[in-house]
Amino acid sequence: MFRIQILSALTFASLTVAASACDKGPQTGTPDPAAKAGETNAKTPAAEAATPTSASAEKGDVYGAGVSEMPTVAISEIIADPEAFDGKTVQVEGMVTDVCAKRGCWIEMAGQAPGEKARFKVNDGEMVFPMSAKGKSAVAQGKIVAQKLSLEDTRAMEEHYAKESGREFDPETITEGKTVFRIEGTGAVIRD
Amino acid sequence: MAERKIRWRKLFRSLHRDIGYAVAALTLAYSISGIAVNHIEDWNPNYTFANTKIDVGGLPVGDYQAMQEHVVQALKLNPKAVKGHFMETETLFRVFLVNTEEVSVDITTGKGLFKQVKTRTGLYEINALHLNSIKGIWTWVADIFALMLIILVLTGVLMMKGKRGITGRGKWFIASGLAVPLVFIWYMVAGA
Repeated sequence: MFRIQILSALTFASLTVAASACDKGPQTGTPDPAAKAGETNAKTPAAEAATPTSASAEKGDVYGAGVSEMPTVAISEIIADPEAFDGKTVQVEGMVTDVCAKRGCWIEMAGQAPGEKARFKVNDGEMVFPMSAKGKSAVAQGKIVAQKLSLEDTRAMEEHYAKESGREFDPETITEGKTVFRIEGTGAVIRD
Repeated sequence: MAERKIRWRKLFRSLHRDIGYAVAALTLAYSISGIAVNHIEDWNPNYTFANTKIDVGGLPVGDYQAMQEHVVQALKLNPKAVKGHFMETETLFRVFLVNTEEVSVDITTGKGLFKQVKTRTGLYEINALHLNSIKGIWTWVADIFALMLIILVLTGVLMMKGKRGITGRGKWFIASGLAVPLVFIWYMVAGA
């Protein structure tokens, strides 16, 4: 009977730990010392086309492995020549304009000119970005994967992206195939 | 001295009962979340979306900050609620607000949408636990919970003897429970 009491006590103790962990809430990223490094790097001036209001460098939710100390590459630079960055690990900064509404498995970050965006993609469940990240400033790190798409594939991709983020889509607005890229993410810091 | 005999089945019954109580809440929570995320293609288990049509009239041309201020004034928004703005396309201007709200407006017509995203209270938190998007200590809690479920199964299977036990009708229930996933695995392998 003594053994049963011990096991029961352990059971309830584990549930108490569960309850206290639950209080943390799902929107805060995993605490990680790399957060500071990311915040230090996040110094690229915000562009006129996509202007987040000033974000505190002291606060930030860390996702995945966070970001390391390395220079930030402008998103417009990658957009101008994605193939030049293919396979390279980069760090980008920008305002979060869209978040995967279903699984939180990607964010889109604004570049320096109107319409410029970079998609930061992670494996499902590795990092889960909340919708509340929209409009916040993010620093993200990962490997660039560039891919040439036909017109048909470009339209299909844009339609899929529009559907995922709840936007309307007109295929006629896409008139030629694109060389697209995504950042296969290893970590990010999103600041309030 | 007489050796004290362990009454295994009594021990299993006690363990099964007490662990059952302890895991009841989380098992229910995970089950509800399981159903919710199983149908993620048909609905969003974490968020609800509401779009309201708006008309902000003619916007100032060329100056994004002025456009943002115009939107804020036209919709009588709190200027402090603005997180940032983004020129999505040549005509689509977006203003991001706190509480995951957004104004999306066509600058040529002044018409657009006021978008609101709300988390499904309760389900959002449960899904975050179930999918372990919070990581950290919750991973260990979930492991302990899984271990307790294993104990629950084993004690359940072994608590009865005779024709109601595993050697009696129990083996047929176990076999039928095993058959269902095995048929699907066979179908997957054979269909591949």
